[in-house]
Amino acid sequence: MRVPYSWLKDYVDVELPVAELAHRLTMAGLEVDRVDYGWPGIVTAQILWQERIKGSDHLWATRVTTGTEELSVVCGAPNIQVRDKVPLARVGAKVGEITIGEKRAMGVLSQGMLCSPRELGLSDDHAGILILPPDTPLGVPLGAVIGEPVIDLDIKAHRGDLFCMVGVAREVAAFTGKTLRPPTIAVKEKGTAAAKLMKLEVRDAELCPRYTARVIRNVTVGPSPQWMADRLIAAGMRPINNVVDITNYVMLELGQPLHAFDYDKVADHTIVVRRAAPGETLTTLDGVTRHLTAEMLLITDPAGPNVIAGIFGGARVEVSETTTSVLLEAAHFKPTNIRRTSVTLGLRTESSGRFEKGPDVELTALAVDRAAQLLAELADGGVAPGRVDFYPHPVTQRALTFEPGQVPWLTGMTVTRNEVIDSLSALGFGVGDAVPGGADETLRVTVPTWRGDVEESADLVEEVARIAGYERIPSTIPTGPLPQPSRDPWFRREDRIREVLAGAGLTETVSYTLTSRAAMASLLPGVGGRDELLLAAPAPGMRADDAGETGDTASVAVSGRAAERRAIAALAERLPAIALVNPLSSELGVLRLTLMSGLLDIVRENAKHSDAGLWFFELGRRYLPTAELATGTGLADERHTLAIAMSGPLVQSWAAPDRDADFSGLKGVVETLLGALKVAGYRFTPTRHPTFHPGRAALLEVAIAHGGELTSEGGGGEIVESAWAPVAVLGEVHPDVAERFDLTKRTYLMEMDLERLYLAVPETVRQMPIARYPAAQRDLAVVVPQDVPAAEVEAAIHASGAPLVRGVRLFDVYTGAGIPEGRKSLAYAITYQSPERTLTDAEVERTQAAIVATLRERFGAEPRG
Amino acid sequence: MTTAQTQEEQALAALRERAVAELAAVTTGDGLEEWRTRYLGRERGELTGILKGLGKLAPDQRKAVGQAANAVKADLDRLLEERRQALRAAERAAALERERLDVTLPGRVIPRGHVHPLSQTIRDIVRVMGEMGFQLYDGPEVETDYYNFQALNIPPDHPARDMQDTFWIAPGQILLRTQTSPMQIHVMEHMRPPVRAIVIGKVYRNEAIDASHEAIFHQVEGLLIDETCTMADLRGVVERFAREMFGAERKVRFRPSYFPFTEPSAEFDIDCINCNGAGCRVCKYSGWLEMGGSGMVDPRVLRGVGYDPSVYRGFAFGLGIERIAMLRYGIDEIRAFSTNDLRFLRQFT
Ligand SMILES: [Zn+2]
Repeated sequence: MRVPYSWLKDYVDVELPVAELAHRLTMAGLEVDRVDYGWPGIVTAQILWQERIKGSDHLWATRVTTGTEELSVVCGAPNIQVRDKVPLARVGAKVGEITIGEKRAMGVLSQGMLCSPRELGLSDDHAGILILPPDTPLGVPLGAVIGEPVIDLDIKAHRGDLFCMVGVAREVAAFTGKTLRPPTIAVKEKGTAAAKLMKLEVRDAELCPRYTARVIRNVTVGPSPQWMADRLIAAGMRPINNVVDITNYVMLELGQPLHAFDYDKVADHTIVVRRAAPGETLTTLDGVTRHLTAEMLLITDPAGPNVIAGIFGGARVEVSETTTSVLLEAAHFKPTNIRRTSVTLGLRTESSGRFEKGPDVELTALAVDRAAQLLAELADGGVAPGRVDFYPHPVTQRALTFEPGQVPWLTGMTVTRNEVIDSLSALGFGVGDAVPGGADETLRVTVPTWRGDVEESADLVEEVARIAGYERIPSTIPTGPLPQPSRDPWFRREDRIREVLAGAGLTETVSYTLTSRAAMASLLPGVGGRDELLLAAPAPGMRADDAGETGDTASVAVSGRAAERRAIAALAERLPAIALVNPLSSELGVLRLTLMSGLLDIVRENAKHSDAGLWFFELGRRYLPTAELATGTGLADERHTLAIAMSGPLVQSWAAPDRDADFSGLKGVVETLLGALKVAGYRFTPTRHPTFHPGRAALLEVAIAHGGELTSEGGGGEIVESAWAPVAVLGEVHPDVAERFDLTKRTYLMEMDLERLYLAVPETVRQMPIARYPAAQRDLAVVVPQDVPAAEVEAAIHASGAPLVRGVRLFDVYTGAGIPEGRKSLAYAITYQSPERTLTDAEVERTQAAIVATLRERFGAEPRG
Repeated sequence: MTTAQTQEEQALAALRERAVAELAAVTTGDGLEEWRTRYLGRERGELTGILKGLGKLAPDQRKAVGQAANAVKADLDRLLEERRQALRAAERAAALERERLDVTLPGRVIPRGHVHPLSQTIRDIVRVMGEMGFQLYDGPEVETDYYNFQALNIPPDHPARDMQDTFWIAPGQILLRTQTSPMQIHVMEHMRPPVRAIVIGKVYRNEAIDASHEAIFHQVEGLLIDETCTMADLRGVVERFAREMFGAERKVRFRPSYFPFTEPSAEFDIDCINCNGAGCRVCKYSGWLEMGGSGMVDPRVLRGVGYDPSVYRGFAFGLGIERIAMLRYGIDEIRAFSTNDLRFLRQFT
């Protein structure tokens, strides 16, 4: 709210410089957005030198200073002299409709403009430049010197009482220790009583608890006096005519919105306050026909609706140039109803904003009296005696008992009982001893009717503390007991993941959790594989429909981009994403079901300006719908998730060959992570997933032990008796998908459900003794059919070499010369060790022979070399 | 005493002279061995020959020549060893010279990724608050109207709802949380005092996105409930937090404000980290930077979760994590955090 300083001074004797007052207001909880001095860009300056420009009969070249800077200004006025102090409009300032720019006049540079009173809007004087008093400081805003500073306050919603000059003045009086001086209201009445001139019928006392009216006759409608127009402009309102201006002026002064009707146009001089009839409409002053509902309150007369109560009026009974009698309304409407109506109609007005905040119900009588007084004084009106007032249930003041000790109890601040009494009294609270005679400290505090926000002790503590000043609150460290230790290590784990992945060369992203269905559907080229694992629970029908009909076929049977887009759109519709009813845009319309589409977007965008490796990871949530969410009995399933995308060479060095991201690189990163988290049992198996290359996709499963102890040793294949839980899919992005995301390089992608992964992460690490007896190492190369998975060979080595095989490391995979077509050579380094004794060569050879025999039998393997 | 040298002595001197000259010309290990064999070889070495021939000399002469010959041998042995050392040193030096590298070539860097600046800020917050006993809790982003608003003393039709434009999933019922404050309620329902909790996470506002506003951003919320705390403790904790995050010299200012779920309420500012309070563009010439909101937990909220407000007191505070990171790293565009441009992310450790 805009508060012109001079207006404020009408009600409280405050002499503080405006900047100081602004600071004090802020520190009392009335946040000052800014002080508007007017004339932005116009500062005080002093003439240093002047000379007539050759060849011109009226232009002067001047040199001026702002105290910190010297400028050249060309000026046409005859009245300035060296050492005069003048207003300087700097480059960029607006003077009237002109924006000042740097220019040349008759070849002389001009970096601003010196202003006349007329150019500043001060008067019609355009004979010369405004000369400021000699003691004017230099380089300060002109408004700070001669203007009307306006304090722009950001009033919080609970303090409806502060949306007016008197309300702000009351606060200023309280924290400066001055006396509040509200306007003196005295109405001279004459003629027929108002009660005989009009009728009032309020049919809904719940929505309209009070309606107060006055009638003023023989008014002369015309322009307001200049002082009133100036104040309204300074406060941000447009002067219209004296009658309307007076209602606005009183609203700004006291906080009560008023409405002025043309008395003679009100049918039967009768005001009826009622709910709208179903289907009723009203064309408001902006020419829009509003469709009303029975939830909305109207001010009507027997001829029809006139005003949407407290919000906006229609034209029929408005005050005009020809109005001679005025019916003034000051009412109180139920705030929540005003708010609802205003939201429903999309209609926010100065008046509705105030009614929403619930002004003081006691104000209406005061406000009509004040307006009647001003109409008599400024529009020659004759005020009809008496108010017409509907007020069936006068408000009672709330009374609270208040322990002054509550202030230090809650704030730690020391205040005296007298300080408590003084600050509350200054704010308009009634304060007395709770027990007559002041036998104990307890106070009885009555809450003024304009402070509906004060309901209990804590509210009073705040009032006392802010008038005393929050700077009096000391600074201490809590000494209370600590809570029970928290057991949930999710953050520590996530931070560990960050550390490991950043250490492996990946960069963390944080992307929008809102996306579009289409973006996610682009990951699925219409193939419903058996693993939409990480795309949530598939929509009803999605799995059943698609799995059967497409099976192993990896591409969509659609021709051309348009058909493909249609297919994606159809698929998108079926994605079970949680949708917003009021999204910012359709691109941000649903919560993501996967992090993968977002990461691919990031890879594409970065590829536009980088040919280096784009290796990214993101830790975030997927938002899966639940049956409970659908029925309003529960929330979404928000799953902590990790996604990785890798594309291009991470290392680009003269000292090492570039190596593009590839499947084993991605898998290596995942294995490194599993090792760092001490996940003991895991396996990768080939899988099909619509997002991935059909021959280059793996499912990661972890072993979740049932009661068994998992050791901290990494590696796969050792766990037999446990359940395998799928936690991630990884692989090369399917070329169809890559095309759709405009990826130019092969990209490798993984998404992992961390909540499932954590089931396999041990809480603590237990060390194993270092083996005491020496290990023996033997190499074994075997030739097996191309399609035998390496993991199965490795598992077979472990199984057939048990218990002496301690470790198996694949060190070479070879096809080509010397190896028959359709076969491959796998070379392993096998470590043999016993925890009980040193192994003999013979034992080792025997075991290795057993392994070879098993591999031959299982896979048709032939030892090589 | 200038007795004429014997014939043998003259021969020895000549041999020595010749051997020394030849040794100086030797440049290889093989040459050295050849030289040694020639003069000092056990079988056919010239000096060895002279020593072997001593027996043929007269006894008086034998002694003198024997001494001289042994002296020459010791001399030659010494010179041989010196020459050997010199050659070895030269060879090593030559070998090292051949291995000379251009040390100005770039090293083989171990590739390193980058943790997002928001994550780094969050990590610091968790540490700083952890040191004061605050434990991290995680909660839902898809929330109910009850937790996000009503339990926080914001009933339907409350004007405070205007301050937080809400994304609705089911209007009036399910929404995306507009603040981390609903976790205050979850935490208090989940445990009995004492409570020291922080919550960090995404919040959502249906607002137009620009250089300083995001529709999705991150907040941290702190909550402490026990039987002894006051607003002075709130100030102490917030000051400690601000100084850990922005420097030990930071001043913190509390000013009255309004939040429906705290009473008394306060906003807190820090003195501008750019101009140290003198006034600049960053702080809009006020010298202060608005940081967040705080206050004593409203008794209505405490009663709502079954805590007796005449026994338990508590404070809560909340602030935006993007704002913290922007100030710490000098970022003036909030969208930089969600754009995920590697050229931006790479600048962080
Ligand atoms: Zn600053």
